[in-house]
Amino acid sequence: MDKLLVEGLGKLFHLGAAADDERGVSLLRKLGRWVRRRPAEGDEEPVREFWALKDVSFTVAPGTILGVIGANGAGKTTLLKVLARVITPTTGRIVGSGRVVSLLELGAGFDPDLSARDNIFLNAAMLGIPRADVVRRFDHILEFAEVGKFVDLPLKHYSSGMYLRLAFSVAINMEPSILLADEILAVGDLNFQERCLERVKQEAEQRGLTVLFVSHDMDAIVRVCNRTLWLNGGQIAGLGDSDEIVTEYQTSAWAHGTHGADRGRHANNMAAIHDVSLVTNDGRSVRGLSTDARVSVRMRFELMQSRTYARASFDVRVRGQLLFRAAEPEMRLFRSRGMWEATMQVPADFFSETTYTIMASLTVSRSAEGRQATLVTPDALSFIVYASTASATPRNERDSRTSGLLTPQFRWRFHRLGTRAEESEDDVVTA
Amino acid sequence: MSLLPEGAAVADAWIIEPQRTGIIARAAEFWRYRRVLWFLASRAVTDRYKGTTLGIFWLFARPMIPVLITAVVFGGFLSIPSDGVPFVLFFMTGIIPWNLFDRSIMFGTKALEQHRGLIKKLYFPRLIAPCASVAPAVVDGLIYVALLAGAALFYWWKDGVFYVKIGPFLPVALAMAFLSFCAAMGVVLWTCVFQTRYRDVRFSLRYVLQFWMYMTPIFYPLSLVRAEYRWLLYLNPLGPIVATFRWAVLGVGEVPMGPLISASVIVMLSVVVGLWFFTTYESSTMDRL
Repeated sequence: MDKLLVEGLGKLFHLGAAADDERGVSLLRKLGRWVRRRPAEGDEEPVREFWALKDVSFTVAPGTILGVIGANGAGKTTLLKVLARVITPTTGRIVGSGRVVSLLELGAGFDPDLSARDNIFLNAAMLGIPRADVVRRFDHILEFAEVGKFVDLPLKHYSSGMYLRLAFSVAINMEPSILLADEILAVGDLNFQERCLERVKQEAEQRGLTVLFVSHDMDAIVRVCNRTLWLNGGQIAGLGDSDEIVTEYQTSAWAHGTHGADRGRHANNMAAIHDVSLVTNDGRSVRGLSTDARVSVRMRFELMQSRTYARASFDVRVRGQLLFRAAEPEMRLFRSRGMWEATMQVPADFFSETTYTIMASLTVSRSAEGRQATLVTPDALSFIVYASTASATPRNERDSRTSGLLTPQFRWRFHRLGTRAEESEDDVVTA
Repeated sequence: MSLLPEGAAVADAWIIEPQRTGIIARAAEFWRYRRVLWFLASRAVTDRYKGTTLGIFWLFARPMIPVLITAVVFGGFLSIPSDGVPFVLFFMTGIIPWNLFDRSIMFGTKALEQHRGLIKKLYFPRLIAPCASVAPAVVDGLIYVALLAGAALFYWWKDGVFYVKIGPFLPVALAMAFLSFCAAMGVVLWTCVFQTRYRDVRFSLRYVLQFWMYMTPIFYPLSLVRAEYRWLLYLNPLGPIVATFRWAVLGVGEVPMGPLISASVIVMLSVVVGLWFFTTYESSTMDRL
């Protein structure tokens, strides 16, 4: 299998009144507009041109899982659509080999009135896959999709989970050389997501499957992708090791305010949030930790004026779900302006084995009771927690002891009722 | 040609470039995706009758009712001559090639609009969309043929004459049907592209086609038109096609040899130009869909 080569790729879209909103506009109205405008002044309404991709060049070695990140409108989906041949590039070329399977949308081309069996063949046909290949892989598809006994049920009676599993299973079992996935691995239940990612990784290692994986979920990118491509305004802003690129992207997103622009502001005339990171006791910044590590969440912020009241808080989330908000109880008075640092110490044996994201906010005010403004960096930080190497217990056994999105260790005490506590504790024998 | 980088000279290598691949590569690709064509075509047909209680009844009733109305009005009340065969048969042999043309245009024009969801998500040769969308028109055509056979049997029982000429000329009729289908595609390849930009296209086409139908000898014989004006009707490529079809099936009227040849040339040219237009504007149309 060969590497995928993208060379000077560009895609020009025509926007504006002259082109974009033609759809649905009646010809008569257009004619009317044209007639009315013509005698007035010969000015042509300018066609706005927009390069969704511009001079994008990179190569991907077989077996790479390439994350594609960037703000909305950065050209991620356009890149995938060009690769999927849904749209034609304006400049440049892409050279590759083998079968390209796109999952721009899971189950595009499924017919809800047909059974799973018929849909597998249909979907394969839509992907340009010969029937013989499908017959050969049919059982594998059903097996991975876990829809076995419902194979003759029309798809409209399927749950969305089953639908998803079937669609992914068809795609991955067609032995693609290149798999294009747009946000799709971020849907579905956790268990299935894990299986998908596992399968994708396995195929990448064993067969040299190349994956282009577009996502806004930085945890997933860091966890799954060995390389990451960062697009900004249709151009490559960075390409390399996922950890590095994601960190770079997030830092820049705060610096330029693009990331938080829609959901919150990270700076105003009173203060600015500069950096949020996870640090160990010796001050190293990390993106992953073991369950028994002691870490702090650190926010560096700048106060523009002296005598500012401020309060830092962190929202800790797992897959978008808020676990808790940690905040100082009251506004604190900062007497001098300049850079400040707030750290929140997290005890060891607190986080569970999963990926967390932290939203950092800073509430500022001129006076203790005055009007408050809150600065927010929505996806300030994400990190992975893995099992501590100290515990040699296999995962399934640990699960029976601790499970959940947080696994704090509490102090346990036992005492037999009706006796004094000191005596009863001696009766309990720890294994 | 060393377009491919070093080591990429394997059988399944591909290139994506602004300018599209050649005709042969495209034809091969079309063939590879033929099952998509078949699926979209059969879905276009079944979707039309889905949800109707009388499903199969409508399949036959829809074409039959207008035939009977026309037969009563033109053949009965107005007594329009029909070259010596029953008016119903005369009219039906005209309406088969015409409807294939008319219906194909109406169905084909909405092709890209109809499959927008699919086209924006999946790649398949875009030409498949208009080709699949005309399927209901072809099915309608086959139903007309069945109705024609039924009508011929009815007159055989009634008059004792089997008007349809079973013989070596039936393939000519088939060729005429194919020609009118091609004529429709020559139009559809343009209109389905325009339809994505201007929704008025289908509305206006309806009336253009109505006028066009009156300009075609469908419910009147050419013998009714004065000889010096007949060439006017033959300017319309559908004229000689319909006349030849009728001649091949019923053995009445004439085969306008010269006009037929020019009509065939016009039709084939329009298909070629249509294919050129469609493939040239394909990608910019997809961007705007």
